[in-house]
Amino acid sequence: MTLMIEAEDLCKKFRVTRRRSGLLGGLRSVVNPEVRIVPAVNDLALKVERGEIIGLIGPNGAGKSTTIKMMTGILTPTSGRVYVAGLVPMRQRRELASRIGVVFGQRTQLWWDLPLLDSLHLLRHLYRVPEERYNANLKRLRLMLDLDEFIHTPVRQLSLGQRMRGDLAAALLHDPELLYLDEPTIGLDVVAKARIREFLLSLNAEHETTILLTTHDMDDVEMLCPRMIIIDHGRKLYDGSVAEIRARFGGERMLIAVLDAAEVAALPRGDDGQPRLPSLPPGVRQVQADGPRLWLSFGSAGSSTMPAHELVAWLGTRYRLHDVTCQEPEIEDIIRRIYEEGLLLKNL
Amino acid sequence: MLRFYFEVARTAYRRQLIYRWANLAGLLTNIFFGAIFSYVIIALYHARPVVTGYNVQDALRYTWLVQAMIMVVLPFSWFDLMLTIRSGEVVTDLSKPCDFYWYWFSREVGRNVYYVFFRFLPTYLAGALLFSFGLPGDWHSWLAYGLAFPLGAMTGITYRFLYNVIAFWIVEARAMVTLASVVALFFTGSYVPLPFFPAWLRAIADWLPFNGLMNIPVEIVLGKLNGNMLWLAYSRQIFWLIVLTLIVRGMTLLASRRVVVQGG
Amino acid sequence: MQIISWRAVLHDMLLYRRLIALQIRAQLQYKINVLIDIGTYLAVTVLEFGALLLFFGPFPSLLGWKIGEVALLAAIMSISFGFAEMAGAGIDNFSDTIRRGEFDRVLLRPVGAFTQVIGSDFRLRRLGRITQGTIAFVIALRLLPNLHWTAAKLLILPISIISGAVIFISILLLGATLCFWTVETTELTNMLTYGGREMLSYPITIYSQTLQRFFLFVVPIAFGSYVPTCYILERPLPFGIPSSVAFAAPLVALVFALVAGIVWSFGVNRYQSTGS
Repeated sequence: MTLMIEAEDLCKKFRVTRRRSGLLGGLRSVVNPEVRIVPAVNDLALKVERGEIIGLIGPNGAGKSTTIKMMTGILTPTSGRVYVAGLVPMRQRRELASRIGVVFGQRTQLWWDLPLLDSLHLLRHLYRVPEERYNANLKRLRLMLDLDEFIHTPVRQLSLGQRMRGDLAAALLHDPELLYLDEPTIGLDVVAKARIREFLLSLNAEHETTILLTTHDMDDVEMLCPRMIIIDHGRKLYDGSVAEIRARFGGERMLIAVLDAAEVAALPRGDDGQPRLPSLPPGVRQVQADGPRLWLSFGSAGSSTMPAHELVAWLGTRYRLHDVTCQEPEIEDIIRRIYEEGLLLKNL
Repeated sequence: MLRFYFEVARTAYRRQLIYRWANLAGLLTNIFFGAIFSYVIIALYHARPVVTGYNVQDALRYTWLVQAMIMVVLPFSWFDLMLTIRSGEVVTDLSKPCDFYWYWFSREVGRNVYYVFFRFLPTYLAGALLFSFGLPGDWHSWLAYGLAFPLGAMTGITYRFLYNVIAFWIVEARAMVTLASVVALFFTGSYVPLPFFPAWLRAIADWLPFNGLMNIPVEIVLGKLNGNMLWLAYSRQIFWLIVLTLIVRGMTLLASRRVVVQGG
Repeated sequence: MQIISWRAVLHDMLLYRRLIALQIRAQLQYKINVLIDIGTYLAVTVLEFGALLLFFGPFPSLLGWKIGEVALLAAIMSISFGFAEMAGAGIDNFSDTIRRGEFDRVLLRPVGAFTQVIGSDFRLRRLGRITQGTIAFVIALRLLPNLHWTAAKLLILPISIISGAVIFISILLLGATLCFWTVETTELTNMLTYGGREMLSYPITIYSQTLQRFFLFVVPIAFGSYVPTCYILERPLPFGIPSSVAFAAPLVALVFALVAGIVWSFGVNRYQSTGS
């Protein structure tokens, strides 16, 4: 059986009672509650094979955490079916729990006042990991996550990056087949993020651990996830690769070029008094200028305008470039565009 | 300046109005414990009809008056000042252009007024309804109570301030706060009415500052203290109010000097 | 509902022991604080007991109960309640757990939710009340020079103290289950536990018949205090109940605990369907 997660027609509707204000209102709410049905997840279908790494994207309130809660047994679906590792999460919660690992970016599962090592020891007993396997795993995780420098420090004294590495180790002590990560790189600096991503890639390569990660960081998705799922308003909007979504819905990209100050000063001025680059290639237009820094927008990856590296080359032959950055559109913009163009892709 | 303190008190009163449900829960707790004590007292009085001039009605009224007054005079585990010391907020408070002590005092007066209306009155009423012991004393004693109750309440504020201000010097003072509350409650008749105390213990309790917190006002409104005894009781209350206030102001002065020197 | 295997139960119990050991070790790191806490709690509970004794200064008896008898009742209740306070601390904290959204993590572990909750805290400082109860017991014995002890009477002590503790912990669990619906009910639970403790420190015959029935048949905390004390003092029980029913305390506790457990499972299930 290679199917790790299988969900069909998954629905979750919340009953929200509106609490009325005031003393009498409170009493009225008990007797005659005003109930609203809020659909959080609608007819979600999903198939995840063992060993996949998937990015789950969506705006806040889209239904991502609700979906994950249903897959981990924390929440019961209103209707539909979900199987994780062949088990029904609600009915076999404990058995499932020993085969999955969950890391919350903002909340730790480690014991606050204890040194990290003590937390890990305790988790070993919680998850009933045999001593030999525990020792082997611990050694490996200490190495891969570089835990030795702070493994004896109480968790409350750790930095965010250290704590995240600690949480990852804690989630992997029992060799879970499936790892859920909820915003794992949030608040981390660039170096820390890179380390976590490297670690996850090697984990997946060496142990075939299926990874499902929720994130707002498009870099996470691009560097880690061959497959991306967009959820909004409880529905799956897109299920495919990142490159494809850029190609179809990416819209325009932005090139920010920092030219030489003297050369910029010599440029002709536009109507707004700002320096303008003359004779730009087709599909490329200057959007903004700020001293030596110029913003150039050009078409999306699949369109007929020149690709980014050609534009850079074009600029480089004519001007002295001090710096060049390429800015991709935000995923929120992409989602908005998907809506505006009324497109919903079904899973292949 | 007086106007400022009045506003502080008014704000404190208004703030308390928000916590309606918490107050209701607390009120039910007060009534509940009042009821338990009432059962005990009724059962005790089966063996003897009168003790030191108190019959069962007097004893019940005493219990319920104390229960009703507790939230006003000696709210259990009052940490507010200590928390500002712990968090460092107190430093900004100390540098305000008003008197630190009178500021807190006014705040507490505002809270006290709230609790008079929303705890004291309902608690006593509930007890009177449940156990039918009616109102205590007569208009003489009520008048006298009108002086003794505020005196007791103000001393209560001073006392609370005292055991909180110690946090300037002792870090982990929570246990001490609990002990300070309990001892005060014990010696003001909250556990056992002072009139039931054996003579030797009563003699000690009479001279302690806690006597004036609730026991003296209650004894006054029950009409048990008249003439010379009444004036003696007042003077005890006033004496301790002044002494405790002086001690507290002295400690605050020391504390604020320390804060200035050490920079918080 | 989960079908629990015996292996799982055993695992949970071993884990509980480990979690408690952890709590104790963590608290003992600050030895002085622990001692101060125990000492303070001891002082407070001793004052409460002292107040009880003071009532017997002016009054010769409490509805026929002499000072030594009431002291014995209070002592047994203190010890029983003290154990419940100590072990049930995690359940007491449950409203905080729910408020902070930490219950999700509990459900993500391959361990029973109850085990994790009760294993999350163990308040050593409640040893203060247990110590007070022991002191009170000694004082009661001195005030009851004519009390004749038999093997059965000695046996009833641990039986009822443990049963009483189990019942109080079950009450705490019921209170915690309420937190799944609203977090505002902690006062109510406190009234039932601390109020119950206060009420049953006195012989229940001072209360109305309804209340007596309540504490014997509905929330049976009388079986942890009043019933065994009557057995030891050879006093009759109300409603013509035979004294030997004191030995049924473990059964009563078990039934009540089962009820609490079922309500708790129901609460957990509801949490899983509404996610709040």
